[in-house]
Amino acid sequence: MNQASATTPGLKTGTTLYALTNEFLSRRFTFEGLLAETAKRGTGPGLEIVGFQSIRGFPEVSDEFADRFKELTAQYHLVPTSLGINADQEIRRGKLMSEDEMVAYQEPQIRAAAKLGFPVARYQYGAGPEVIRRLAPLAEKLDVKLGLEIHAPQHANHPDVLKYREMYAKAKSPNLGWIPDFSSTATTVPPSFLEHCRQNGVPEKLIELAMEIWHADGDTFARMKQYQERARAAGFDEAHVSQLSLIFPMFGKADPNSWKELMPEVVHIHGKFFGFDEEGNEECIDYPAILPLFKNGGFNGYMSSEWEGHMYSDADAFSMIERHQALCRRILAN
Amino acid sequence: MDYIALMQITRVISDNGLSSTPSGYRIDIRLPWYRSLPLSTVEVGEVLFDGAPVEASRVRFELEGNSYPLSAMPELVDKVWYVLDSAYLYVQASALPRGSEHSVSVTLNLYPPYIRGLKRVSRETKTLRAQ
Repeated sequence: MNQASATTPGLKTGTTLYALTNEFLSRRFTFEGLLAETAKRGTGPGLEIVGFQSIRGFPEVSDEFADRFKELTAQYHLVPTSLGINADQEIRRGKLMSEDEMVAYQEPQIRAAAKLGFPVARYQYGAGPEVIRRLAPLAEKLDVKLGLEIHAPQHANHPDVLKYREMYAKAKSPNLGWIPDFSSTATTVPPSFLEHCRQNGVPEKLIELAMEIWHADGDTFARMKQYQERARAAGFDEAHVSQLSLIFPMFGKADPNSWKELMPEVVHIHGKFFGFDEEGNEECIDYPAILPLFKNGGFNGYMSSEWEGHMYSDADAFSMIERHQALCRRILAN
Repeated sequence: MDYIALMQITRVISDNGLSSTPSGYRIDIRLPWYRSLPLSTVEVGEVLFDGAPVEASRVRFELEGNSYPLSAMPELVDKVWYVLDSAYLYVQASALPRGSEHSVSVTLNLYPPYIRGLKRVSRETKTLRAQ
């Protein structure tokens, strides 16, 4: 199944263990347990992990860990798809790493991806285009693609992303690509998140104010600031104001069609989702509009089911992923 | 640095996370974030014991058997708190009777190192029986 899936062209499903954060951190499942359960539920074959979550001592990866990982993925017919690496530019608070330091910080993480057999290292925009340009030769040597995760509040045409697009056009490296995360192209704020806020006592009036400003035009952080100022002026509780501030950076409302511009260089996808409505559709991301863009655009690779509702919900993440993949299969079959 | 402080209602204190020690008590805490972080990006904020603030100078932070004063944490860029591990706050205080019940509140401030200007404030209050 593994062989067939890995060679079948088109958009293939997978799981990121990030979606299973609560199962892991609550110590209900070990790393190996997560792989076993993913296989049992049939929510592979793609497997993505975040280095700093799944691997003790990351970015160092012992031979023992790497061997065991390869053994397990073979046993469970899972296909390593993407390793999440981090651009931790501010591990010294208030002092950013230099470019040289950022290159040195991410190099071992890219080597870890190669050692574990991941064809893609998911990197973050904070890395900076120049640092990634400098890392491209290493990626080429190791046969790893560096994929920029494009996540809310950024999107395909966001100024931060345009800088990378410019660099890619000049660098012409076959190992530089994109990882669209559907948080950039949501239609609204997940109703499940708002419901969570209500249950924590956030007043309806404050939610209405936040939603009105979220749906308005303008820069993300300008809107967030406007929301905070108006909420404070109206005398709402600071903890409530803060909780809802999250919606501005976390959920973007760019046009899904903007993904088309990146298509030939898309190396992996984060199928972000939060919850479902009664018909089984995602509650804030228009999958029936988005998935055909990738299918028709000739995307050939994996989409990780990336449930992020775990940030505020204790629902069984495995079941959420099953529902997500059922929805995606239904759309792709049409 | 101008931080956006986001208040999270989340897990900080482990179940059965209070133990008495010869010099006071120990609180078992978890990293309220999805991935490991260097201790330089973790700040122990307010600690309340039975509603009363605990002075920072009476608290030490222990990870993997190494103990640090809270004031040393910003320098600990190479000490990584692995996300599955417990860390411990050792508080100097008068002895706690085993089995006594106490309200414990711990605030941890995280400065995720790839998100500039974000201060993530996590606070949890639990009633715990001293082990």
